[in-house]
Amino acid sequence: MVKANNTKKRKRLWLNTQFRARWLKWMDKRLPANRHIQLSHRSIFILPSKFGVVWFGLVILLYLFGTNYQNNLVIGLSILLASILHTCIIYSYRNLAGLKLQSMPAAQVYAGDTLSFPSHLSSEKGANEVLLSYPFAQGEVDQSIAPQVKQAPVKVLVSYPSTPRGRVNPGRLKIESYYPLGLCRAWSYVDLATELIVYPTPVESKIALNAQQSNNQQENHHGRQVAGIDEYQGLKEYVKGESLKQVAWKQLAQGKGMLTKEFQQPLGAPIWLTLDSSQSRNYETKISELTWQVEKLHQSNQLFGLKIDNITIEPSHGEGHRHACLEALSLLPKFDGGTPS
Amino acid sequence: MISNQIEQIISRNTLLWLLITNVAIISPLYDKLTLWTGGICAICFIWRIGIYFGRVSKPPRYLVTLLAVSAAGTLALVTSSIGALSALVNLLILGYALKYIECTNRRDVRAIVLVGYFLIALTFIYNQSIWNTIHLLVICGINTCVLVSLYQEKVTLKSTYKLAFTMVAQSLPLALVLFLVLPRLPPLWLVPDMKSAVTGLSDTLNFGDIGRLSRSDKLAFRATFDEDVPTNAELYWRALILDTYDGSTWDRNQIIKDIEKNAFVMQPDRGNPVGKTINYTVIAEPTHQNWLYGLDQAFSQTDDIYNLPDYRIYSLRAVDQKVQYRVKSAPNQAMDKSLHPRIKEINLSLPDDSNPKAKLFAQDMREKYPSPVDRLSAFMRYFRDNPFYYTLEPPRVGPQQIDDFLFTNKAGYCAHYASSLVFIARASGIPARMVTGYQGGEYNPKAGYVSVYQYMAHAWVEVWLKGQGWIRLDPTGMIAPERVNEGFDAIFEGEESYLRDSIFSGLQLKQFPLLNELRLTLSSIDYYWSVWVLGFDNDKQEQVLQDLIGKVDSSKLIALMLVSLSLVGIAISYSVGLFHFPSRQEPINRLYVRILNALAKKGIHKPQGIGPNDFVEQVYKLAPDLAPDFERFTQNYIALKYQNLPSTAAQKCWHVYRKQASKLRTAIFRLRSVDSDKSNT
Repeated sequence: MVKANNTKKRKRLWLNTQFRARWLKWMDKRLPANRHIQLSHRSIFILPSKFGVVWFGLVILLYLFGTNYQNNLVIGLSILLASILHTCIIYSYRNLAGLKLQSMPAAQVYAGDTLSFPSHLSSEKGANEVLLSYPFAQGEVDQSIAPQVKQAPVKVLVSYPSTPRGRVNPGRLKIESYYPLGLCRAWSYVDLATELIVYPTPVESKIALNAQQSNNQQENHHGRQVAGIDEYQGLKEYVKGESLKQVAWKQLAQGKGMLTKEFQQPLGAPIWLTLDSSQSRNYETKISELTWQVEKLHQSNQLFGLKIDNITIEPSHGEGHRHACLEALSLLPKFDGGTPS
Repeated sequence: MISNQIEQIISRNTLLWLLITNVAIISPLYDKLTLWTGGICAICFIWRIGIYFGRVSKPPRYLVTLLAVSAAGTLALVTSSIGALSALVNLLILGYALKYIECTNRRDVRAIVLVGYFLIALTFIYNQSIWNTIHLLVICGINTCVLVSLYQEKVTLKSTYKLAFTMVAQSLPLALVLFLVLPRLPPLWLVPDMKSAVTGLSDTLNFGDIGRLSRSDKLAFRATFDEDVPTNAELYWRALILDTYDGSTWDRNQIIKDIEKNAFVMQPDRGNPVGKTINYTVIAEPTHQNWLYGLDQAFSQTDDIYNLPDYRIYSLRAVDQKVQYRVKSAPNQAMDKSLHPRIKEINLSLPDDSNPKAKLFAQDMREKYPSPVDRLSAFMRYFRDNPFYYTLEPPRVGPQQIDDFLFTNKAGYCAHYASSLVFIARASGIPARMVTGYQGGEYNPKAGYVSVYQYMAHAWVEVWLKGQGWIRLDPTGMIAPERVNEGFDAIFEGEESYLRDSIFSGLQLKQFPLLNELRLTLSSIDYYWSVWVLGFDNDKQEQVLQDLIGKVDSSKLIALMLVSLSLVGIAISYSVGLFHFPSRQEPINRLYVRILNALAKKGIHKPQGIGPNDFVEQVYKLAPDLAPDFERFTQNYIALKYQNLPSTAAQKCWHVYRKQASKLRTAIFRLRSVDSDKSNT
């Protein structure tokens, strides 16, 4: 029984994928990806919802009922209900028409976390109860609800199930509304050109293990940065007794208070985080460990470089460097098994 | 996979609307509820109020199940006594109430709304007056509010009902068109009849029965005549023929009862009447009985009507709601020139041991007047010459009813006179029978119809004479001729029993001309409603469509439907603001640019990045004659464009602006060209 069900399901799934592929192709032509999208008659689809079909059933039932009792008023009521369905179509369309969507940068996440893609919704005419979801996601996703959308943009986060590391394209965003009577479902699939790089899940490990061998005496310092004079690092509150040479006079003149310019200098040689895919076992674990190391080194503000196969990122530090490294790790080719071939 | 947590959200607004709609939908059906159903509805409603105010939580499952089972059980027991339709109503209301108390998600709410619409439809079965329809239309709107409130968040009650009622109102025009166009089918299968107390005439007659009707001002039926309305004295609406008498009750004979029972399968044995006919349409009010009303020898070709051999018409289904039918009557054509022996026997038979005095009296008369015609006129004279009088409150009669009436009391109303006459006619050997129905009718000159009320119920006599067939005799006419000639109202002016049961009835208003006028107008509205809405059938449909689009064919109908569908759609779309018409902003700019272009032609160029006000200063330098006008024009331009003027002020300003523009243009046209170099400095 269960087996039969499964084959049925699989068959349906296969049909679905076939159909979906064609459909997506058509959609790409009709509604190309864009960060700003305003819904119009080109992009809004309307069909009766399940409730709308039941409603129509009631219309027929009442018509028969009125016919059998030869009661024109019952027939009239059934016709009125049918007419309400017609009115509802226009209202449903109006609810979504003119809705503006703009995708916003998503927060960085690690693999295994739930993703959420923010977008800004606004509408000149106002829209009620707009539901947003990513229908092509693998696994269970929640619908996000924008109860009321007006001229001022509202931010809506649409969740997406956790994915493995790498570049994630959530697919088309489904915008749905049953307003005002639930009789019609107005919907649209828009591609807001949303993309996110999901970083590998960090796994705690020892940093030094993969560091490039170096004979330097100060190896222990591993690129740690200490206060120095070489590199401008930033501003900090002035503490009495600090050298007046380093006071940021310009900022003082601007009325920002007394601040001190901080300088740093690297201590010892930078760390090299390396991974050789051909030699490593537990490839994914390694990647995860490297992720953790990158985060750790970033937190302690150390200089480090990354070298994986033929990708090399020169030692550096800072937010940008961290992103570059994590991105490189995320986008490493995936292997199915534990060991790459 | 998308999880539907939105389905779980029911706003507080919705809960409140559910409370309102519950009362609104159930209250019009209050008299159809059994005690049990009513009780459970009340419990559910009170519980719901409790839930709304947070006093109680959802009732436990077992309690709801218990209530449902016990209520359904009792309902099953009483189904036979209240009728299938009433049972259906009760069952639906029960489901409605119980689902209502249980509802936890949107699906439940939607189910409640759908059942609500069905209950509204059921209410229409019971009452179809125009006022009731308006009332139910409002309830329809309230029911729609529940749905609207489901999909609106954080809104006031007002905005919800505004939207719901707007939607219902916007749906009405299309509904009207569809009502006109959609086909009217005959009933597809037999439906359970309403088991309601019958109203109007009863199918048997006792002394005293018609007196009860005489106190009711309820409408019995209305009739519209194609030609002139016959006089009041001609309006004898036959409904029943009672020819079996057991000493106290008059009833129909078994033969006709069998025919009525089998009318569904029987072939009518009566054809179209020939000769001069009176044609009219009758709209009968519901009686929950089958017989219909017709004058004299009535014949109808309306569906589901059977023409009985005794020249009455009979509806195949009980008149549970207003019915409209066409009748052809032939007043001058003889009914039953020859009488079947079996029928003759029935119409001569009397119970053996009843009313000996009356029988004796009849025998005497027979000897005195051997000719039946003479004898009958002697009988009629007897009523006139003896001190009989007409009253709705006759003295009591003993077991020998007719003896007591004829020789002791000498007071009574139509039923007494008619049954006495039938009795003595039969006793003297003339076939006779009692006819009950209505006599007279109130003519409404505005809408041109005759209204017949229950208090116009009447009983009279038909006697069979050789060569003439059945002849109508009305002994009441001998005692109270006004009753027949001028109508019932004439003789009962001021008498207490007349309409005693309805002191506040509209008919009491007859004495006040203005109010009577109003009463007639309301009655006309009701009449038109009956004819054009309740009685809108295939014939009327064809008639209306022919007036609208000429010869009716399917392609024209489809075109009409499509056109109205899109017209209504466009109208609604426009009303909800879907079309963006170019705002006034456009022409404002256009005019300004046109003036600038005209100035440029004369060599006065507006440099890029300079405001309109600054440009005015330049114009002052280059064309001082023109400048004041241009300044005023610019001021208006700025006002229209940047100040948020109220609409009337904007309108005014726009007019001035346009005038200034045309004035400026002629002024610029006359202007001498300015050196273009100068303008750029």
